[in-house]
Amino acid sequence: MQTDPYTGPVPAAVSSPEEETERSAWSNHRTRLLILGGVIALAVAYMVYAAFPGNTLYFVTVSEFVDDPKLHDGQTLRVAGALAPDTFRREDGSTLSRFSLGDKQIDVPGITPGSPQMEASYVGVLPDLFFNPHSEIILEGHYDGREGVFATDNILVKCPSKYQSIQAENPDLMPGAAAPAQSY
Amino acid sequence: MAAIAGRGPTDSPIRSSLRDPRFWLLVATAALTIIDGYLIFVVAPTDQVLGHIQRIFYIHVPISILSFLGFLVCAVAGIGYLIRRGEVWDRVAHAAAEVGVVFVTLALVTGVIWARPVWGVWWTWEPRLTTTLILWLIYVAYLMIRHYAPTAQQGRAWSAVVGIIGFVDVPIVYYSVQWWRSIHPVQVIGPEAADDALEPIMARILVFSLVAALALFSYLLLERVALRGAEDAVSAIRRQGTYD
Repeated sequence: MQTDPYTGPVPAAVSSPEEETERSAWSNHRTRLLILGGVIALAVAYMVYAAFPGNTLYFVTVSEFVDDPKLHDGQTLRVAGALAPDTFRREDGSTLSRFSLGDKQIDVPGITPGSPQMEASYVGVLPDLFFNPHSEIILEGHYDGREGVFATDNILVKCPSKYQSIQAENPDLMPGAAAPAQSY
Repeated sequence: MAAIAGRGPTDSPIRSSLRDPRFWLLVATAALTIIDGYLIFVVAPTDQVLGHIQRIFYIHVPISILSFLGFLVCAVAGIGYLIRRGEVWDRVAHAAAEVGVVFVTLALVTGVIWARPVWGVWWTWEPRLTTTLILWLIYVAYLMIRHYAPTAQQGRAWSAVVGIIGFVDVPIVYYSVQWWRSIHPVQVIGPEAADDALEPIMARILVFSLVAALALFSYLLLERVALRGAEDAVSAIRRQGTYD
């Protein structure tokens, strides 16, 4: 196959009379490919750099939020923590919830003892796993300076990266926690 | 032409497929998938926090891992093609990219289905999801560039470059849950997984699901490589018929 009707003459691997011109065309072609590849590699590298911690964070923790007044200017952001015990209030027949988050303890249910707390408000349906003590709660919204609360637009629930059967459940750790999960 | 002429005139289609290893791989894939379904829906215990939805894990994790394998095959075969310029390298790379795109699409779809009841949203722009979507875009671009190139030969070379460079995103996807704050659970399998991330019975069913998904992956890859060979043979005949 010396001639491809779509591509014209195909550069042959074996030597041919036009080998000199073929070769220079190929090296030119390779140079272009290298430049193209380099540009793509740089673009990927830049995307990685731009997304690195310190430049962009998916969420801040409750104590980071409380300690940084720059975050209180009403900008939209995500704050992650755990539901502080006995802070959840919602009146009957209302969809307005008020609650506080504290820093989530690593690998243990509940908030870190002595961590700062952040008051939040949310109007809407709560996710199924909101009250599960293993859940880390991520709020999307902004700080409302007049009310002094975090006005939540969306609630996301992060679950532990550990899977355990109901049978293996420790009853002291999670009283009745499996019950809401049955509803799916 | 030898591949097409291989079937003798006296052979019935059934008899010739019984001699084809791909047929037996398909049978094995079907058997493994059916057993896997039984393991996932009947044998696997219900997760204490997530409930029944967690069973999608046995599909979501294996197909995600096998999409990585598809892109690895694509990158390695792309390097082979750029060095050797053999058609077979390109067929393998192209087939692996196609199967990889199918698997990563399924990983995204099963992830979306899992996210809604557990996280409360179908999608969120967090590191694991975003880097996986970029991976999907890279290999969709790989498939498109083959057709956009002015000549078939340029298409092969350009897509090989995309396939090789695009593979950089695979370790980024895997380590994204470590490098950045994320809503996605950290790894339960591979070098960064915690030892107690899974109960033993769950780990065993996950391994079985991986084997079943690997069988499906291998079958699709081999079938597509063979089909690409037939497509190339047909287009060669067509070109001769038109221009000779």
